[in-house]
Amino acid sequence: MTILTVALKYLRGRLVASALTSLAVALGVSLVIACVLLSRGIQQGFIEGTTDYSLLVGAKGSPTQLVLNIVFRMDAPTPNISASLYRQLRDDPRVEVAVPVAMGDAYQGYRYVATTGSYFAAFPWRRKTFAISEGRFFRDDPPEQPAYEAVLGADAARRTGLRVGDRFHEGEEMAEYPLTVVGILRPTNSADDRAIFFSLASYWQMNEISREMKVKPLTAVLVRAKRMSDLPGLHRGFNVTADTQAVFPSAVLLNIFNVLSLVDEVVAIILAIVGLVVVLYLFVSMYSATLERQREIATMRALGARRATILGIVLLESCAMAVIGGALGIAGGHGVAYLGAAVLAGRGGPVANLFVVSALEPVVFASAVVLGALAGLLPAVLAYRTEVAENLAPLS
Amino acid sequence: MTGVSAAVTLHGVTKAFPLGNGRTLEALNVQRWAVPAGRCTVLTGPSGSGKTTLLNLIAGVSLPTAGTVAVHDTEISALPEPQRDRFRAKHIGYVFQTFNLLSAFTALENVMLSMMFAGAIPNEQRRRAGEILARLGLGARLAHKPHQLSRGEQQRVAIARALANHPPLILADEPCASLDASTAREVLDELLSVCREAGTTLLVVSHESSVLAAGDQVVDITAINRAKHRVSVAERV
Ligand SMILES: Nc1ncnc2c1ncn2[C@@H]1O[C@H](COP(=O)(O)OP(=O)(O)OP(=O)(O)O)[C@@H](O)[C@H]1O
Ligand SMILES: [Mg+2]
Repeated sequence: MTILTVALKYLRGRLVASALTSLAVALGVSLVIACVLLSRGIQQGFIEGTTDYSLLVGAKGSPTQLVLNIVFRMDAPTPNISASLYRQLRDDPRVEVAVPVAMGDAYQGYRYVATTGSYFAAFPWRRKTFAISEGRFFRDDPPEQPAYEAVLGADAARRTGLRVGDRFHEGEEMAEYPLTVVGILRPTNSADDRAIFFSLASYWQMNEISREMKVKPLTAVLVRAKRMSDLPGLHRGFNVTADTQAVFPSAVLLNIFNVLSLVDEVVAIILAIVGLVVVLYLFVSMYSATLERQREIATMRALGARRATILGIVLLESCAMAVIGGALGIAGGHGVAYLGAAVLAGRGGPVANLFVVSALEPVVFASAVVLGALAGLLPAVLAYRTEVAENLAPLS
Repeated sequence: MTGVSAAVTLHGVTKAFPLGNGRTLEALNVQRWAVPAGRCTVLTGPSGSGKTTLLNLIAGVSLPTAGTVAVHDTEISALPEPQRDRFRAKHIGYVFQTFNLLSAFTALENVMLSMMFAGAIPNEQRRRAGEILARLGLGARLAHKPHQLSRGEQQRVAIARALANHPPLILADEPCASLDASTAREVLDELLSVCREAGTTLLVVSHESSVLAAGDQVVDITAINRAKHRVSVAERV
């Protein structure tokens, strides 16, 4: 026997209590892990969605609305801008890539996004990659000959059940302009998984207002500048005009995060309280175990156990429960975060890959063990101070 | 005590318990007493006469208010606590009236535990604990928890635990009080024969005639304890 085996035997001796206590630790730890992983995943998801393009040009209005709508397909679409703006940007020497986007209605809740092939192009600076899992991309058809070809995001395809070759339309009035599925995208873990893409020519023809318009409408243009130093100039240029605005998506995002940081703080406080409750639970569990065990402690002392040995046994018990609970909690927290991410993604929330290597797990685990030791400290001191002679007396 | 060396020597030992309000109760006052080595001494006396108190002092579980307690050549009452614990683990075996086995541990583990306190490594603990339990007829009970054992078996485990480190001195506080007469007799015989074999000094507290008859000498504590069991009030400073 060693101090450790003695501690573990004691834990097994009161299996139900130790299991419940470890479970409480596990729940606390998994809550912390799940919260951190999810909030990190969501933030990362938003960041990844915005970092490919440095500038977003759209109609005057709320910058937040523009970013949420264009990048994340949330909120209502902003008013239109004219397609000539796109050509102006495309030909601007400071611009490396300009991608026109027009937001349409939706098919079974999956947003129509009209754009060009450049939307899917793999530029060296791009973090996001698009790949076709089935079929092909749609053609950039000339304005007068729309092909009505659609490429579906992975979720949109899965949920609507549409396959390559299928024709579809939303509502009676669109029956004249059915779209044909020509391709399905691989999952990108972004809002694009829930979009239905087709060409601008098709879009302009399908929409009865734009069909008549001389200057065709767009919702926004995604812009990548050649040099970072050109960004302020481009930004200013589109903001001084009466009907356009240019926004830095990452700046808008930072704004949103700042607003949300209050939520983070509330969550942190709740997690701290949960931690405190778990530590208290562990403390009470060890305290009552020690009280029940005073006679056994006195016996061990009479057999020659030193006070330090008794202290060590109680501390090790407490730490062992923290270790077991911590390990279970980290595994459980990943499970909960994974499920949470799946639910969020199903609702169109951008969630980045949760399982990245970071200091989170070791830090949470070490904190759990340290807190476990702290919770066991007072009971251990109680055990340490148990009087031998008094507690040895035969029970009457 | 002629010709026999002493296993335990007490000099001017008193033990007073604080009762609060500055009052104390003198439970023990033994001017001079020696327990002969290698023999079985039976200590007897009425309830409350200080027998357990005396054993606790000899074991170094509690300290005398005054005087010295020596076990062989070691003045245990003068040792700092960690050394006293270590000394007790190695040199003294203690058998209690109620067996005080640790309920979460098997018979084997209970014995191994006292060897762990004396610093034995796990393999050594397992080997020797198994041997001693087998010697006491518990070879088939090693993996049993205390509640799975009869009272006689439990007390045998307690004896095995006291013997595990081969201590030169064994203290037994009414080891048979919780057993029926015939089991008591058996357990006592075991204890005596193991101790005689190893030349271990045995100090047993008991009232039972069978135990008194088995001992090499019987000491009535009232003959050596001059404490009046009086409550005294300490002088205010
Ligand atoms: N911790 C204590 N505090 C106060 N008084 C105590 C304490 N321990 C023992 N005493 C008193 O000391 C006296 C001797 O007690 P002790 O337990 O040594 O008697 P004993 O001879 O072992 O009796 P028994 O045969 O009943 O076991 C008793 O009067 C008891 O009340
Ligand atoms: Mg007694």
